[in-house]
Amino acid sequence: MTDKVKAKSIVQKIGGFRILILILVAAVLGIILLLDVLVVEDSIFDPLVYLYIILGTLVILYGIYPLYRGRRLTGYYWERFRRNRLAVAGLAFILFLILLALIGPFFTADPTAVNFEEKNLPPLGFSIEESIYDMGKQEFVTRSITGTSQHLLGTDNKGRDMLAMIVSGTRVSLQVGLLATGIAVALGTLIGIISAYLGGKMDNILMRFTDVMMTFPFFLLLVFIVFIFGPNLAFIVLVIGLTGWTGTARLIRSETLSLRTREFIMASKALGASTGRIILAHLVPNVISLIVVIATLSIPGIILAEAALSFIGLGDPSVTSWGMVLRAGQQNLDTAWWVAVAPGVMLFFTVLAFNFMGDGLRDAFDPRSAV
Amino acid sequence: MDNHKLLEVKELKKYYPVTGGLFSRHLGDVKAVDGVSLYINEGETLGLVGESGCGKSTLGRTILRLEEPTGGEIIYRGTSVTGLDKGELRELRREIQMIFQDPQSFLDPRMTVGQSIGEALLIHGVKDETERLQRVAEILERVGLEAQHALRYPHEFSSGQRQRIGIGRALILNPRLIIADEPVSALDVSIQAQILNLMLDLRDEFGLTYLFIAHDLSVIRYVSHRVAVMYLGKIVELAEKDEIFHNPLHPYTEALLSAIPTIGQKKKARILLPGSVPSSLEPPSGCRFHTRCHRVLPVCPQEGPPLKDNGHGHLVACHLRGVR
Amino acid sequence: MAETILSVKNLKTYFFTSRGIVRAVDGIDFDLLKSECLCLVGESGCGKTVTALSILGLIDTPPGRIVGGEVYYDSVNLLTCPAERLRHIRGKEIAMVFQDAQSALNPVFTVGDQIVEQIKLHLGVGNREAREKMIRLLGEVGMPSPEKAADYHPHQLSGGMKQRAMIAMGLSCDPEVLIADEPTTAVDVTIKAQVLDLLQQLKETRQMSLLFITHELGVVSEIGDRMVVMYAGRLAETASVAELLGNPKHPYTVGLIKCLPDMTQTRDRLESIPGTVPSLIEPIGGCLFHPRCDRAMAICRQEKPYPVTVGEGHTVFCHLYSKAKG
Repeated sequence: MTDKVKAKSIVQKIGGFRILILILVAAVLGIILLLDVLVVEDSIFDPLVYLYIILGTLVILYGIYPLYRGRRLTGYYWERFRRNRLAVAGLAFILFLILLALIGPFFTADPTAVNFEEKNLPPLGFSIEESIYDMGKQEFVTRSITGTSQHLLGTDNKGRDMLAMIVSGTRVSLQVGLLATGIAVALGTLIGIISAYLGGKMDNILMRFTDVMMTFPFFLLLVFIVFIFGPNLAFIVLVIGLTGWTGTARLIRSETLSLRTREFIMASKALGASTGRIILAHLVPNVISLIVVIATLSIPGIILAEAALSFIGLGDPSVTSWGMVLRAGQQNLDTAWWVAVAPGVMLFFTVLAFNFMGDGLRDAFDPRSAV
Repeated sequence: MDNHKLLEVKELKKYYPVTGGLFSRHLGDVKAVDGVSLYINEGETLGLVGESGCGKSTLGRTILRLEEPTGGEIIYRGTSVTGLDKGELRELRREIQMIFQDPQSFLDPRMTVGQSIGEALLIHGVKDETERLQRVAEILERVGLEAQHALRYPHEFSSGQRQRIGIGRALILNPRLIIADEPVSALDVSIQAQILNLMLDLRDEFGLTYLFIAHDLSVIRYVSHRVAVMYLGKIVELAEKDEIFHNPLHPYTEALLSAIPTIGQKKKARILLPGSVPSSLEPPSGCRFHTRCHRVLPVCPQEGPPLKDNGHGHLVACHLRGVR
Repeated sequence: MAETILSVKNLKTYFFTSRGIVRAVDGIDFDLLKSECLCLVGESGCGKTVTALSILGLIDTPPGRIVGGEVYYDSVNLLTCPAERLRHIRGKEIAMVFQDAQSALNPVFTVGDQIVEQIKLHLGVGNREAREKMIRLLGEVGMPSPEKAADYHPHQLSGGMKQRAMIAMGLSCDPEVLIADEPTTAVDVTIKAQVLDLLQQLKETRQMSLLFITHELGVVSEIGDRMVVMYAGRLAETASVAELLGNPKHPYTVGLIKCLPDMTQTRDRLESIPGTVPSLIEPIGGCLFHPRCDRAMAICRQEKPYPVTVGEGHTVFCHLYSKAKG
């Protein structure tokens, strides 16, 4: 056997080149993390960056790459997805959000810049009656204030630019949504597949553990952590991710169980395939579409969870999220209504968009649904 | 066709334990295959027929070690293969292959047809992709499809075409024995005929041996040299095809044959079996068929009749046919 | 001359999907006579189930819709009569036994309760009378220990028993017409025999008409009086069972009969019909069978065949027999 062929067979034995890359990336990150913590004074890297890289690698290796390799199949799924107009609209909105989050901050003001001179300005095109005590005339005078082009969406009660805050909030929501969901789904998938494939006692143990985690009050845990360590976006992401995997685990487990008895798995066994090969080459690709759907449909819940946390004050004060803006706007709902409406509208459409897209994906992947 | 035994099973058993109660106690066993002995000669086609729940599919899967046998022996080309380890089992898989029943589920929907068929080659050491592609193309053409179909996905094909793909996948390793588990049951009549013709052509071309499992007696008659009839985990009759169809000795076989609706025969005298097949968890005592048998004798509920040769290799398990 | 009890004229049922219009049933006619068994025969996708569902107005709309034709029962056009009337007829006068007993029976209720509900709904009788009738029915369909079986849930019954329960449900209101959709397809040979025998018996004792949908020619031969062969949503041939099976004219019917592994003779090789059923969306001109027909002529590609009478009650839709040929 030539060297090239030898190398290939070794790679195959450990499950393909994708696992190899995954191990490499994890190793590199691990080294950087160690250096960062032990050697350098101040942490250079925000912990979120590590999460981004790992999850990004997973998505590329197991999501994007298979799509590229099976272009014909991808095209087939896209055709089916395309026919669902709401789903396509959802996708378009999400792409818009991503764009906004990526380049928005370069074009907007600093969301944290406070300016009491310009507080409570309405959005462009709106005007509002304001009652001020005129020192000179010694009486209340009403005057009308109109929005300016400087603050397209107005300002809040501390003069912070609404547009900038919304854009910042988009970034935060997407970050939390994607990362926390990524962790939750990855963890849930791992546990689900292992539980289903090993079966027996292991399955029992893992599923009882899942039941316990399901009843875990993640909210209290969060309050506790905030109490001890202070509010931090990374913690929020981690806590949501580490407690939100249970639903996924159950769904993936039941799908794996039903896949296990499908004739093509038996056929593969009959050809002489090893357990490893069956799991990696057959089970995983067939489960991925379910994972994508679960992830897409979980994101809105997670975004809302983060918004709720910020709303009640447990969020990270150093980042401006929609929940925080809602919190600022709730007091002046009758006068400076735009402060609450703007983030509310964004949340509404974001949740809708992910739900529509998730439904569309599920219908596209399901062979039984006639699209 | 020489009288060289390619495959032999002796007293093969496959039990599925049933657990229940609070502590998962062992309540009993579903005796899906309960002491089956038969052999297949090289080049012959043995038809295995029986109704649902009789254990014929389980028998097929157990021979291939897709299910682990609970007891008994499997002998292939004179060597016992019941206790093979993983590596040896993989080698064996080159020689014995399987064709499955349901065209909607025996192909991985996320793999191209070429990948599904080529997987066999990949597992057995054909590392060169070009060689795999070429052999897959050859097989596709041999089963009546086109080489370019290798790039397509299962959902792009009809049921009949998918079964051809399934046959191609089984053939690509050049096996000697193919276990066909109800290969045409899910197909329309006109497609069924196409696939049966294909299987027989391939049999002649490659000198294949078939264990052909089905519930349709007319299909069994068309393809088999010898026929085995199964009931509730046991073989009740085994004989040359013409013998079974013209001279059935077991009451169950008689009933099966008379139950088949045929063209041109209206309202014939039919033996109607009362009730339905009993559960394999608690099979009837003695001869398992005695509860529905129209020729039952007093001894039947007490003693299970052994499978004995009634003359000229016609085996039957019935107290009516005591060996003289 | 027996009277016609159900008359289907030029029935067209299409499904409007995003990929195009599926012409599941494209202009079929047939008559069902009193006390006869008419078999609707064809392979999967030929439109026989859709036909049955159309007669009873059970087509899912959208995406399906009955776009044309008439179905006359007792001088009422079922396709245009008021919904109230249709509901009254459905179940009481024309009943249906579905193909898959597993999914047609409600798993949450006992078999007895489901039948009783039907009886009370259509016959307006009290609980006790309905229950008595239900037990009688279960006995009539050959259910072992009817009183006990009535209290079982569907999953507690075997395949054959479920099938009988379904038939009992269909018979519960003494219908004039029973439509049976492949009742013997999913069951074992021995149960098949039992069910066929039962249906035969019921037809005779109740003077009931049976519209029997199947793809198994052997079954047709045993139980059918007349038969209608469908292909890709259109008619191919109609005749009495004896006439059609003994003297088939349409190349598809001929091929279908030749395909069967025959129990009475052993041939060396099965005849088969090459190719597959055409897609019902992309319309091909002329006769839908012509791409697979070994006797196709030029006209077959262009013109849709019209009905030609080739014998007593024997009609063929094929250009080979058109009068123009002389």
